[in-house]
Amino acid sequence: MLKKLFQIEKIKALSYPAFKTLMIIHFLLFFLVVLIVSQVQFSIPGFSIKKLYQFPNIWQFFPWVASWFNLFLAIVVILLVGNEFSYRTFRQNVIDGLSRNDLLRGKLILIFSIAVYTFLMVLIAVMLFGLINSDDYSLNAIFGRSYVLLIYFIQALGYMCLGLLMAIIFRNNALSIIMFILYFFPIEPIIRWIFEAHARRYFPIKIIANLTPMPEFLTMTSENTINTSTGTSALDFQEIGLTIEPLSKGLNVGLAVIYILVFLGISTYLLNKKNL
Amino acid sequence: MEKVLEVNNLSKNYGGLEAVRNVSFSVNRGEVYGLLGPNGSGKTTTLAVILGVLNANGGDFKWFGNTLQKEARQKIGSLIETPNFYPYLTLFENLLIAAKIKNASEESINYALGVANLLKRKHTNFGTLSLGMKQRMAIASVLIGDPEVLVLDEPTNGLDPEGFAEVRSIIQSQAAKGKTIILASHILDEVEKVCSHVAILKSGDLIANGRVGELLTTEDLVFIQSTNQDELFSALQMAEMVSRVTKVEDDLSVVLKKPFSASELNKFCFEKGFVLSKIMLRKQSLEAQFLELVK
Repeated sequence: MLKKLFQIEKIKALSYPAFKTLMIIHFLLFFLVVLIVSQVQFSIPGFSIKKLYQFPNIWQFFPWVASWFNLFLAIVVILLVGNEFSYRTFRQNVIDGLSRNDLLRGKLILIFSIAVYTFLMVLIAVMLFGLINSDDYSLNAIFGRSYVLLIYFIQALGYMCLGLLMAIIFRNNALSIIMFILYFFPIEPIIRWIFEAHARRYFPIKIIANLTPMPEFLTMTSENTINTSTGTSALDFQEIGLTIEPLSKGLNVGLAVIYILVFLGISTYLLNKKNL
Repeated sequence: MEKVLEVNNLSKNYGGLEAVRNVSFSVNRGEVYGLLGPNGSGKTTTLAVILGVLNANGGDFKWFGNTLQKEARQKIGSLIETPNFYPYLTLFENLLIAAKIKNASEESINYALGVANLLKRKHTNFGTLSLGMKQRMAIASVLIGDPEVLVLDEPTNGLDPEGFAEVRSIIQSQAAKGKTIILASHILDEVEKVCSHVAILKSGDLIANGRVGELLTTEDLVFIQSTNQDELFSALQMAEMVSRVTKVEDDLSVVLKKPFSASELNKFCFEKGFVLSKIMLRKQSLEAQFLELVK
């Protein structure tokens, strides 16, 4: 059954012009950014651009860059799911013999397939750039932080599952995309602002976005720069309440997975409850 | 006879609007069952509920003696309202999706396109088709996987007279193969010519249900003339076999009670001393009955 659903989703997606266009843009943007940045000649004591392209830093840098373009992936999912409502093809698929849960399974297969594709895209880029630019080729250096790519995979799933939920709620491509973007800014940030600083860390977008934070290497460099120029340390920021301690990596990933399951749970409920 | 579909007290509301109210009917294997009613009478809603795309607010239905399961769905080919396909996919790709869902072979796609006279357009995008072709494509989709039951909602919508005749011919040929067909239409002629049974819906209520022949013969009209029309008129008003008699220009229009026939009317008149110079049987059209029922 899963193979059949995969084949059906493949027909629907690969012949859809917007799908191909957005996926090509996603691919080009990612490679353009990593190529352009690689050409920048910039270095300060303790930091050079080249270090971003070396193992193990590259495992954090590339997924972080790829995460900038997760919006495209979510929009692809919104369009493909929204089309099913616009063209009433979900309805036809059910009439032809799929259950409503099959419809959702099909879209989950689609989401998973796109996430696997982006995972492989970043993996290949990491290996390519990493092997060209690194000085240390020990296994520990090459694969030491490869877990970040798995976390990026979960993040891509998270954005796309939220896109799926939006498309099922609003059933209209334009409205779903607008609401998806508005939820990022300003809806969730405003809601977060109402809560105290510690509670703000637990909101879905915050949790999912924090899965691929700015690489430690860059953060430390920024702090060094601030220290040098203003004499203020990160510890000082925490003390005066401008920043809060981030959640541990494990807790962040766990909460992201829970949010993904919640998005899917609500999607399943709505798809079964509402008329097609 | 095996019941293919059994609908019991089905109700569906849209907010405060009762679109279908306690509708019950059953369809036996091999029947061509018509759902007839004016726009907004609940035909499409009834079909959408029994096909699982709308959730019922009350009542239940059974396909092949069970609730609507995936296996049952795959035995049913359906067209509800407008054709629902991906405009950016070719006809073949659209039907390939339906074929995969129904576990049907790719050969059945060519067969269906051939029946719908669309084989030459196999690799054309659905979005570029004319309205009539889209409707024919919907018919092709219904035939994928050689389903046991066809559910057709206004299948001749948007078709020219030639297309209309083609679709009617397809339905009749499928019926001749012993398929069970449920046909919703507001075109009385279509139902009268194609269906063996009919249910008439009005504002969400089922108001009549039975064999098309039976529904029609209950209202047989016999037009008669005699040399003494007034006396004959009086005699017929007293006759037990007559349900209603009216003067229509030079004729008397007689509606007989069941099971009396026109020959028995002729015999009755002869025995009463009237020689009929004209006797003509005319079944009252379904249209007239339909309008009578739904007004």
